[in-house]
Amino acid sequence: MTRVLVADDSETILLLMRTRLELAGYEVETAADGQEVTERLRAGELEGLPDLLLLDAMMPRKSGIDALRELRAAGVDTPALIVSAHQDATDADAPSDLEVSGFVNKPIDFDRLLDEIAALTS
Amino acid sequence: MSPSLANRLRIGFAIGFAVLTAMAVIGVGRFIEQRQDFEDAIARSYQVEMAARVRLASGDADRAAARATVAVQAERREELRDQIAADTRDTTLLVAAGLIAGLTGALLLFSGLIASMRRPLEELVDAAGRLAGGDRSARVEVGGLSETATLGAAFNEMADQLEREASQRDQLDRLKDEFVLTASHELRSPLTSVQGFAELLMLERDSLTPKQVETVEIILDNCRHLVRLLNDLLDLARSDAGRLAVTPKPTAVAPLIDDAVRTMRAQTESAGQTLTEAVEPDLPPIEVEADRMRQILVNLITNAHEYSPAGASIEVSARVKGAGVEIAVTDNGPGIPESQLDQIFERFVRGDAGLTQRVGGTGLGLAISKSLVELHGGTIAVESTPGVGSRFSFVVPVPGR
Repeated sequence: MTRVLVADDSETILLLMRTRLELAGYEVETAADGQEVTERLRAGELEGLPDLLLLDAMMPRKSGIDALRELRAAGVDTPALIVSAHQDATDADAPSDLEVSGFVNKPIDFDRLLDEIAALTS
Repeated sequence: MSPSLANRLRIGFAIGFAVLTAMAVIGVGRFIEQRQDFEDAIARSYQVEMAARVRLASGDADRAAARATVAVQAERREELRDQIAADTRDTTLLVAAGLIAGLTGALLLFSGLIASMRRPLEELVDAAGRLAGGDRSARVEVGGLSETATLGAAFNEMADQLEREASQRDQLDRLKDEFVLTASHELRSPLTSVQGFAELLMLERDSLTPKQVETVEIILDNCRHLVRLLNDLLDLARSDAGRLAVTPKPTAVAPLIDDAVRTMRAQTESAGQTLTEAVEPDLPPIEVEADRMRQILVNLITNAHEYSPAGASIEVSARVKGAGVEIAVTDNGPGIPESQLDQIFERFVRGDAGLTQRVGGTGLGLAISKSLVELHGGTIAVESTPGVGSRFSFVVPVPGR
């Protein structure tokens, strides 16, 4: 089964993401911030790597962008989507040293998000 | 303490008055004295002559000597008359010279005073002009006469005050812009949850009652409205902060209009309205950012749609106008009263209040459209006749014209 790791500092958003993604047939892991993402991936707590990372751009302790930068530096090349509260965030906003598969704007259009996840994990 | 204009004038007047008075006193005194001397001398001369004539009449004296005395006295009086005329002329000249000298002195004093006021006043006029023109750093050098120094200091004080207030206002504006930007970001997460969970409910609509489905649809409608409001507020805050930017590129007009019309087709059709295009053939490309142009067109068509009754017709047209292309959205809706036309492009101003209940807009669409058109170097305008319809048009530039 395709595994997605979702990180967001809002439990409600995590619950929403988990419900929608599980309904669509994905296995979902959640993390409360970027720090937890990097720690758990380092500790090998997740068996192997997830197939996709869905990271909120702004989180306390460590943002999705900082977490992704660390993971990329450690050689993790899992596709990653950044969730942003910016109305019109685009790939142009991404730090140029970061491999981002795409941006998702809040409020989330789940039909589009599910299409994108399907395309990235097929 | 700088010398004051009033003191200088006072001193100048006092000296002038003293000089003129002295001249007058001396002149008149001399004139009277000379006249007195003259009259005394004339009188003496007549007495001597009379004495000689008495001696002649008595006949006992030396007649020749007496005749000579009479002749001498007549000559003497002639000389005295010449003398007094010359003296009077001299005195008059002296007084006149004194007056001229006094007036010249006064003139020099005044022109000196005017000259010493002129430079500070010119500087003040110049600085006031610059301040009015928006140069908040405009100040004058304080100095010279105490009056101009006081005026200069007051001007500088006022300019300082203006600068302080302006910078406070700038700071408040920045805080407001930051607040709107932050609020608009922060509201998106809870909004995502509300919309997301309502959508989750709708995924199971088969197990909901029709009443429940209607309820969830109302929640979703309002979520979309909130998103629009947030996006519009964000655009306006960016526009105010000078952070709303467009990257214009040469763009074909017809596809832009096709795209906007396609987006709005379903909504206008469901209201029984007709939406048509009237685009002049062979229009030159326009210098615009396509996404923003689409946003303006959708705003204008949405307004026409929402404010017009069922069955109304809406036309989107484009033609060459002046050095640009004019794009217009015309409807045969209720029109806008003249009293509202002036403020129609201001934020949160909407047409007829009676309509706002069923109109779903944010009241920001036209304000944003205006900002966007102006960012493209264009102009936006409205014409409307109540009962006949409205026409919103904007002109955008054509590259290379």
